Amino acid sequence: MKKILLSSALCASLAFGAADVLPVEKRTFEQSKFIPDISLVMDASVVSRSVSDDEVVGLEVPGVAHGLLGSHDHGDTSHAVYNADNGFNLNYAELVLSSSVDPFFTMDGVFHFSENGVEIEELFFTSTALGNGLRAKGGKFNSNFGYLNEQHHHAWSFNDMPLVYETFLGMHGINETGAQLQWTAPTDTYFMVGAEVLQGENEQMFGNQSIHLDDLNAANPHLESADAPSLFVAYAKTSFDIGETTILGGLSYAKGSSRLDHTEDEEGAHAFSGDSTLYGADLVVKHFFDSYSSLTWQSELLSRKMEGTQYAINPTTLASTAVDLTKEQSGLYTQLVYAYDKNWKVGARYDTIYQNDIEKSAGTPAFAPENLDKYSAMLEYSTSEFARFRLQYDRNNALYNADDERQQVDTIMLQANISIGAHGAHSF
Amino acid sequence: MNKLLLLFLLPFTLFAHMSIAVSYPFIGAITKSIGGEHIDTVVLANGNWDPHFVVPRPSLIAKMRNADALIMNGAQLEIGWLPPLINRAANPKTQPNAPTFLNLSHHVELILKPKSVDRSGGDVHPDGNPHFHLAPENILILAKTIEEFLISIDAEHQAIYETNYAAFTEEWSKNIAIWKTKMAEKKGKKVIQFHDNLAYFNKTYGLQSIGTIEPLPGIPPSSRHTLELIELIKKEKPCCVLHDVYHSTKTAAFISEKTGIPIVLMPHDIGALENIEDLKSLFDYLTGAIK
Repeated sequence: MKKILLSSALCASLAFGAADVLPVEKRTFEQSKFIPDISLVMDASVVSRSVSDDEVVGLEVPGVAHGLLGSHDHGDTSHAVYNADNGFNLNYAELVLSSSVDPFFTMDGVFHFSENGVEIEELFFTSTALGNGLRAKGGKFNSNFGYLNEQHHHAWSFNDMPLVYETFLGMHGINETGAQLQWTAPTDTYFMVGAEVLQGENEQMFGNQSIHLDDLNAANPHLESADAPSLFVAYAKTSFDIGETTILGGLSYAKGSSRLDHTEDEEGAHAFSGDSTLYGADLVVKHFFDSYSSLTWQSELLSRKMEGTQYAINPTTLASTAVDLTKEQSGLYTQLVYAYDKNWKVGARYDTIYQNDIEKSAGTPAFAPENLDKYSAMLEYSTSEFARFRLQYDRNNALYNADDERQQVDTIMLQANISIGAHGAHSF
Repeated sequence: MNKLLLLFLLPFTLFAHMSIAVSYPFIGAITKSIGGEHIDTVVLANGNWDPHFVVPRPSLIAKMRNADALIMNGAQLEIGWLPPLINRAANPKTQPNAPTFLNLSHHVELILKPKSVDRSGGDVHPDGNPHFHLAPENILILAKTIEEFLISIDAEHQAIYETNYAAFTEEWSKNIAIWKTKMAEKKGKKVIQFHDNLAYFNKTYGLQSIGTIEPLPGIPPSSRHTLELIELIKKEKPCCVLHDVYHSTKTAAFISEKTGIPIVLMPHDIGALENIEDLKSLFDYLTGAIK
């Protein structure tokens, strides 16, 4: 009996073994099967603006943000806004690497190569094994605040960021190093809550590093740093379907320290030390006519309150003057995009900052106009899922020059967004 | 106390169904046939839409999050929509390589595997044609695969799954014979398609696909290719244009008008047309569509 078993086992192993033996040249240490998914996305544009590049750099959204368009130097880092210059712009090459790490994590890296260098746009690991609807993330990533913030530039429906996002948070939005925990409820209706603890280094709104005003003039104060991590984000999102219509809505909250160093600005150099709170509400309604055709209405409202002390720097003496400052500002964008088929899309967007309240304890009242708006329209053609060409027109009524005069800026741009490599699947 | 506890737990054991998420309706139908009352199937994609382009609606994340297992078609058919759902749901039971995850394409012999893979050839599937469920013989292989899968994750009900599988196979084999007879006279007919999603059906019944309305996989029709196709049709005299339900029939109607060959709508899954309610009616329809 034993013999039969043994011989049959032997036969089986022979029969199997014969088929399974790898050719000699393949029995190596080769690890090419473990190469992560790789994709490369390029984004380039040709821009024609009604205002020259030199002029556009000096324009600001009074009381909200300065240096919105064009490329400009900021301290020791020079960063380019997308579609910065008249003529051709190579916005970035985005390299994405992603793979499983082990049975417990995946890892994703998103690198932005531009003519100014390489930026780690995102680099994070995500848990896959927690279960119970829990997902944890650590590293540098786009916060899931609101709807648009998490998406990469090439997933946006327009070439530029909505005005309210760009002015409140800068063109990267809330893109920070930290940790995220999300929980999806065990319900039939999608309901997700999440919280993030982030370093808090957004250049427009959040910061925690000390500011050495005393280096400029010995009589100035030294602005103490805030305890890091200094930014906390929380949100809740829900979604349901009515027939072929999907509705996704969310509420978001962010609170953090603000140490904003604008002492090296050429005009109106200042520093700010205080705390900021940002509220967001988003709503996306998408109706599908068939597999390829849809109508999407997407809107987000952002409202912020910044409270603290502003230190204005005298350009000649470099002495600082402190005033208590409270900013309450709100804005929204609403956009409608119609996808006719796999190739064609057309869309329009309205942007506004409708609240711009600035209270100062002393000095001249801040110039803070409220009717700040922008209109955009776009037409895009995709030859396939991997190549998209988009023509966009913007009329921006939110920009003012140094003399506080409104400067209307009209922009026409044609953007090419091309990708190779792994098939990127977009979430909703 | 114990009695109370029992009373409390009873409803849970009564309804301790496994909830199995499946990507497409046909997988749901096979799974339900074998799982019977011991499982609930949750179908993610609509049967009347393009299986390549399913919208990853957040409601699907909720379904995925609550699933005890996931069965997908594979062969990259779901590449554009399933990965973000798996990622967002973060359910260990629906992760690839989990014992509760089944990729059907690993168990079927794929045909038309491209010799070289390059996107200049369109949106090609590197592993071969993924629409393998449209050959009735393959449904038997899928049923066997799903039976083994269910037993592997729920050994307790092995006997029931085996019985259900045997019943399904017996019934299905009878149908295969009927469909074979029905299609016998169609053997050798030449056909045009929009996209080669009937490759396995055509192979089974000896239909010869001589061209597609899309110039390359995933690339929409162009006027030049359409004119070339019209010339080809005039020369080769195919019987008809076999058209899926989710692409516009505009180009096909133009071709039909120029060449006189009819357009035959071919449902690809349950729910693709109103009267396609189950797997049998899908194949009943397909095998009776070509006149």
